[in-house]
Amino acid sequence: MADSTQVGKTFDPIVWEVERGKIREMAKAIGDPNPIYLDRDAAIRAGYRDTPVPPTFLTVPMMWSSSMPVLINDLKINFMMVLHGEEEYEYYRDIYPGDTITGVPKVASVEEKTSKAGKKMDMVTVEILYKNQNNEDVARARTLLVERK
Amino acid sequence: MGNELYFEDVKIGDAVPELSKGPIMKLQHVLYAGASGDFNPLHTDDDFAKAVGMKDGVISHGMLIMGFVGQAITAWVPRKCLRKFGVRFAGMTKPGNTIMVSGTVTDKRQENGENLVFCEVVARDEGGDVKITGNFSAALPLKRG
Repeated sequence: MADSTQVGKTFDPIVWEVERGKIREMAKAIGDPNPIYLDRDAAIRAGYRDTPVPPTFLTVPMMWSSSMPVLINDLKINFMMVLHGEEEYEYYRDIYPGDTITGVPKVASVEEKTSKAGKKMDMVTVEILYKNQNNEDVARARTLLVERK
Repeated sequence: MGNELYFEDVKIGDAVPELSKGPIMKLQHVLYAGASGDFNPLHTDDDFAKAVGMKDGVISHGMLIMGFVGQAITAWVPRKCLRKFGVRFAGMTKPGNTIMVSGTVTDKRQENGENLVFCEVVARDEGGDVKITGNFSAALPLKRG
């Protein structure tokens, strides 16, 4: 069970080298035929430096780094009772193949809510600000986890 | 690129072009698990899914459906124009569902030197059940005078 004393807690940084093949794989898994994600030349013609990442790509460093299960375990959230409630991204700069992005997951808030049916839930918001190899902010990800009790 | 989208061309109340995805196959869950790194067996193993209470078996990754919404958005506004994109996961998606993404322009304004449009988006299945509600903002270019 999560609790409010955990607000502000941070976790090991996620460090992720962005690869062109992984961008293509993500676009193909979604079934997105947009050539900017699949073909470097098409991306350049469309005004990008290389193939940009699709809007939901930041789930890749989060999930492949196994950061989420570690975090859920560490916050003593019951894995069987957790739901992904919300996901939000803010985009500050393009992310391209060859970039190394780094983000430190941080517990932004923990709130208890009661559903209309009278069931209690903990709402845990985890925020990750990603920076690139030049220490520039590239994106912020916010994940709301809902733990049913 | 040909049909560039300009700030002046977008009006409040305009529709975001619709996108239909599916029917979703279980194979797509496997592809998405590998691409995203989300190997929760709830999405790929029917026996596991049934054991945790999903009577029909596996359910789709919520992030896959958010990916469909992202596809719809960046088919309309260029990827580099996207500033913010957020969703609430409102319902579970199952293999066999066809997802329809639609949206509406709710506001447009100039802010910090950018020409921003704000939109609401929704993803529904073939029966009209809502899977995702969300919103996004994008900074669009002005026509050259």
